[in-house]
Amino acid sequence: MKRFRSFLPLLAAIAFLLVTFALWVPENRFLTFGNLIDLAQQISVNGILAFGLTLVILIGGIDLSVGAVVALSGVICVSVLGVAGPIGGLAAGLGATVLFGIANGLCAARTSMPPFIITLATMLVARGMALGFNESRPLPIDADQTFILALGNAILLHGWLPLPVVVMVAVFAVSAVLLHLTRFGQHLFAIGGNREAARFTGIPITRHEVAVYALCGLCAGIAGMIHASQLYSAEPGAGQGFELSAIAAVVVGGTSFSGGIGSLPGTFLGAIIIGILDKGLNQAGVHFSLQYVVKGMVILVAVYTDVRRRKGTAQ
Amino acid sequence: MTPTSESTATLLALRGIRKHFGGVVALDGVDFELRAREIHALLGENGAGKSTLINVLGGIHRPDEGEIRVDGEAAQIGSVTDADRLGIRLIHQELALAPNLSIADNLFLGREPVRFGLLDRRRLVADAERLRDELGLPELGDVRVRVGKLNIARRQLVEIARALAIRVRILVLDEPTASLSESETEALFGKLRRLRGQGVGIIYISHRLEEISRLADRITVLRDGRSIGTQRAADLDMQRLITWMVGRELKEHYPRPPHTPGEVALSVRGLRAPGVNDVSFDLRCGEVLGLAGLVGAGRTELAHVLGGLVPATGGEIVIGGRPVRLSSPADARAAGIALVPEDRKRDGLVMTQTVGFNLALPWTHLWSRGLMPDHRRRGAIVARAVKGFAIKAGSADAKIGTLSGGNQQKVVVGKWMEQPPKILILDEPTHGVDVGAREEIFALIGRLVTQRMAVLLISSDLPEVMNLSHRLALYRDGRIVRQGAAADFTPEQVMAELTREAPRTSPPAENAAHTKEGLHQL
Repeated sequence: MKRFRSFLPLLAAIAFLLVTFALWVPENRFLTFGNLIDLAQQISVNGILAFGLTLVILIGGIDLSVGAVVALSGVICVSVLGVAGPIGGLAAGLGATVLFGIANGLCAARTSMPPFIITLATMLVARGMALGFNESRPLPIDADQTFILALGNAILLHGWLPLPVVVMVAVFAVSAVLLHLTRFGQHLFAIGGNREAARFTGIPITRHEVAVYALCGLCAGIAGMIHASQLYSAEPGAGQGFELSAIAAVVVGGTSFSGGIGSLPGTFLGAIIIGILDKGLNQAGVHFSLQYVVKGMVILVAVYTDVRRRKGTAQ
Repeated sequence: MTPTSESTATLLALRGIRKHFGGVVALDGVDFELRAREIHALLGENGAGKSTLINVLGGIHRPDEGEIRVDGEAAQIGSVTDADRLGIRLIHQELALAPNLSIADNLFLGREPVRFGLLDRRRLVADAERLRDELGLPELGDVRVRVGKLNIARRQLVEIARALAIRVRILVLDEPTASLSESETEALFGKLRRLRGQGVGIIYISHRLEEISRLADRITVLRDGRSIGTQRAADLDMQRLITWMVGRELKEHYPRPPHTPGEVALSVRGLRAPGVNDVSFDLRCGEVLGLAGLVGAGRTELAHVLGGLVPATGGEIVIGGRPVRLSSPADARAAGIALVPEDRKRDGLVMTQTVGFNLALPWTHLWSRGLMPDHRRRGAIVARAVKGFAIKAGSADAKIGTLSGGNQQKVVVGKWMEQPPKILILDEPTHGVDVGAREEIFALIGRLVTQRMAVLLISSDLPEVMNLSHRLALYRDGRIVRQGAAADFTPEQVMAELTREAPRTSPPAENAAHTKEGLHQL
C-alpha cells in the first residue's frame, strides 16, 4: 500500500493530462478508442527503452547510446532478414545490441571513465555503424516479412491489443520481476545506494554492472525492431533523440539520477505521461517548438519534486 | 608478551605480511597474533598500514608475501567470500551500508533468502527481527526502516548486527567510535565485551588511547607498515605506546597557552537558530573557550550560525562592541570570524586542487590585478602560510589529497592567516588526525592565542577540550548548561553533565543509547 501511494502523484498527473487533452483537443478526437490504442502503440518504443535505462540509472549510470542502438538494431535485423529469415534477423539484431551493451558495461565497470562520456562516445560509434549500412539510406522491409511487420503493427483480439504493447508489457513484467523481486535486483539497489557497501559485502559489482548495460542494450534492440517495423523500413538515421525521451520517462517516473532510488512501475507511468504529452500536444495543434518547451518544463518539475523528496529522507 | 592465565588458543596469526601499491609499500612485514576471547587493539598513526592490514584480512586486498594462519592452519583469503567462510567480519570506518535500503535489507545484503528464485521478503524481515532479538539489540527498532533515516550510532549497530549475522569468529572494527558520543561508545564497548565472552576474537583499531586502555586486552602498534611491538593493556605504559607510534618522545600532551584575557571579542546573547536554544557567552581576546558537547548536541549548528552559514532566528551577536548581523559567510569574515569546519574534506578544502590553490583561495583580491592573476604575490601568500604553519607538502603544487590529515587541517587553518581573523572557531579540529599532528595543531592554537586571537574550540574529545581551554562551556541540547574556568571542572563532572538526560520526544529506543542508564540493558 505504501508503495502504491508513492505512485499516486503520477496517476493523478495521468488523469489530469487525459482530462486536459480530452477538453482541449478539438472535435473530441482525443479520448476515442482508436486514439488510445494508437497512443499505447506509440508509447511502446519509448517504454521499452526506458525500462532498460531504469536499471542503468538505478545503479548510478547512464546510457546515451540507446537511441543510436535503436537504429543499429533495425538495420542489422533487416539486412540479415533476407538471408537468414526472421529468426536469424532477430538473433543478429539483438545479439549485436547485447554485445554493444556489454561493451558499454565493461567500460563502465572496469575503467574509471564516467558512463556519460563512455556512452556519448559509443552513441557516435553506434550511429556511425548504422549509417554504414546501405549508404545511409532506409532499408525497406519486404512485404512478405509478415512476422517482422507484425511486430510493430499487428493488433490482436479484434483490434483491442497492439502487438508492440504486448511486447512492452512483457519486457516490463520481466524487468520488474528482475528488479523488484530477485536478489539480482536487490543488489542493484545496493550498488546504486552505496557502491562501496556492495563491494565490501561481496556482491560481484562488475558482473552486475555489465549485465545491466547488456539488458539495456537488449531493450534498445527490441525497441529498434519494433520501430523499424512501424516505419516499414530500417532507417540508419532513426532513433535520434530517443535516449532523451526515455531518460525523461525514467526521471518523471521517480528514479533518482544519483542512483539507488527508483522503480519500474514508476518508469511505466513516466513513459505514459511523456506519451500522452507528445500525442496530446500534437493533436491540440500546439506548435512543435512549444511542445519542446512544455516537455522540458514537465521534466524540470518532476526532477525538482524528486530532489525535494530526497532532501527530506536521505542521510 | 608472556602468556597469561586468561590466554587461550591462537585464533589468527599473521607472519611477515607485505603489500605494496605501485611504488608505495603499505605493509612491510607485519606480524600479528589474535587469541580467542581477546580484544586486541591495533594502534598507529594515519598511514601506518592499519587499514591495509584489515583489508588483507577481509579479502579486499591480497598480500604480496607472508603467511596467514587461522586456527593454526594456513589460510588463503582471496575474496570477501573467503573471509566470510573463515568467520572474519570487517566493520569499516566509512560505514558500508546502503542508505536507500532498509535495516533488514542491509543485514542480509548478499545473502538474501530466496524462494522459487524470487526474493523472500517476508522471511527477510522475519530473519532480521529474529537476529535483532537474538543479539539483544532492541535499539535497532523496526527493521523495515530505511538506514538513511538512522543516526550514526544506530547505523553502527546495524553494521555490528550484520557482522554477527553469520557465525563470526574474528571481528575487526576500524575506528568505530569516530562519530559516536561518549555514552554510545560505552554501549558499544559493552557489546564487544559480551562478544569476547562468547569466544570471539576482536581486532579494534582506534586513535583514542584512552578508550583503548579501557577496552583492550593487548595492544599492538603499527608504524610505517611494520609491527613495532605488543603490550598487555594491564601493564600499559602510555608514554611507551606514544613513542612507538610516532617514533619519538612526545613530552607534553596538552600545552595550554598562558591565559591573559583581553577585551571581549565576541559576545553572544540569547542566540537562537534551528538546534540552538538561547545561547549566551563572552569570548575574550587571548583566550580559548572550550565548548564541550556530545555529537548531536547542536554544537555544529552554533558554529554554522557564527560562521554566517545559517541565519540566527533570535538573539544578539556583538563583535568588538558592535552588534552584527551574520547572514552570509562573507558577513562573518568581514566581522573578523573564521570558521574551521568539522568535515574538512567536504567543507574546508577543494580536494581536487593543490595546496597553493587552497591557501590562496580566500585572498584572490590581493593577488589579482584586474582580471590578471599576479603569480608573484600569490606565491608569496602561499609561501608565508606554508612556512608559518610548517605545512609538510611535497610542494605548493602538490594535490591537497596527498597530505596527511594533520597537514590538511593546517591548510584549513592557515588559509585564513594572511590577514588573521580576530575570532577563530574550530569545530572538531583533531577529527581523524593522528597523534603527532594533534600535538602540532594544539601548538598552533597556543601560538594564535598568544597573538591575542580569540578561539572557540568545539570538541567532543573531553581531554582535549578540557586541557586546552581556559574556560569551558558545557553544551547540551542546544544550550550552554554550565560555564566557568576550565580548572574548576573534573572530567567526571563534565561527563555527568553532558550525558544527563534531557526531556526528549524521540522514541525510547533512541533514548536508551543516549543515557548511561541505558547501558546496563545491553
